[in-house]
Amino acid sequence: MLTEIQEGEALNSVVKHITQEKINLYAEASGDFNPIHVDESFATTTPLGGTIAHGMLNLAYVSEMMTSAFGRSWLSEGKLRAKFKEPARPGDTLTINGKISCVEQKDDVSYANCIFECRNQKGETIVTGETIVKLSGDKE
Amino acid sequence: MPVKTISYEELIPGYKFPPATYELSASLVSKYLKAVDSAGDGFVPPLAIAACAIAAMTGSFSPPAGTIVIHASQELEFFKLMPIGATIECHTGVAQKITRGKMSVLILELEVFDKDKEKVQSGRATIALPT
Repeated sequence: MLTEIQEGEALNSVVKHITQEKINLYAEASGDFNPIHVDESFATTTPLGGTIAHGMLNLAYVSEMMTSAFGRSWLSEGKLRAKFKEPARPGDTLTINGKISCVEQKDDVSYANCIFECRNQKGETIVTGETIVKLSGDKE
Repeated sequence: MPVKTISYEELIPGYKFPPATYELSASLVSKYLKAVDSAGDGFVPPLAIAACAIAAMTGSFSPPAGTIVIHASQELEFFKLMPIGATIECHTGVAQKITRGKMSVLILELEVFDKDKEKVQSGRATIALPT
């Protein structure tokens, strides 16, 4: 968990390696068997040129970073907005970075606004977005 | 996995997918945590719930021939932490359908409730279908 909540504070990065096996496991766990994720022979015939990871798998890594920083506040009252810029592919190593962009007060409740990005090993941006977490008055 | 019974043409703004019910069993959560390479923290990861709701939608319709289904953006808001073993009901529908040249875009809405009809999460998924 973060010990200091202040603007500019960096969140602990998350690094994950994408494999086809993980994508297949995610398909089974989520029930999303879109062939662009799991059918290598089909995927190679598409403009994407091969299988790609589920966008929601990438977001699970973002959520891991947020949970590590904010714990139950994130899990029970978090808010997320994400854009998938480029596909993550088997063999990619993803690094998710985030920081607190501002801390706001609304009706005596504090919220941390964070921005995040997920990049692959080539430095390409895979996902960008923002999150909001309630800091005080949280449900226990 | 839902049976693909809905044609793409049926997906017009206002369309509601049949509600989907999931039991967030220990085995489902365990499978999800293994897939996302996470230790977990004793609760159902909210992204696991969102994944169920999204799969319930995208798995139930057939995209037009020659198209692929790509997740373009996602918004989510969590209202309640769910314990392992809870049951959820996913209500999903079409908010917008846009066609620009060879690109179709669907904006899908989701709301997830627990067995007491309390809202667990809500969100919007933007799905691109390039031909």
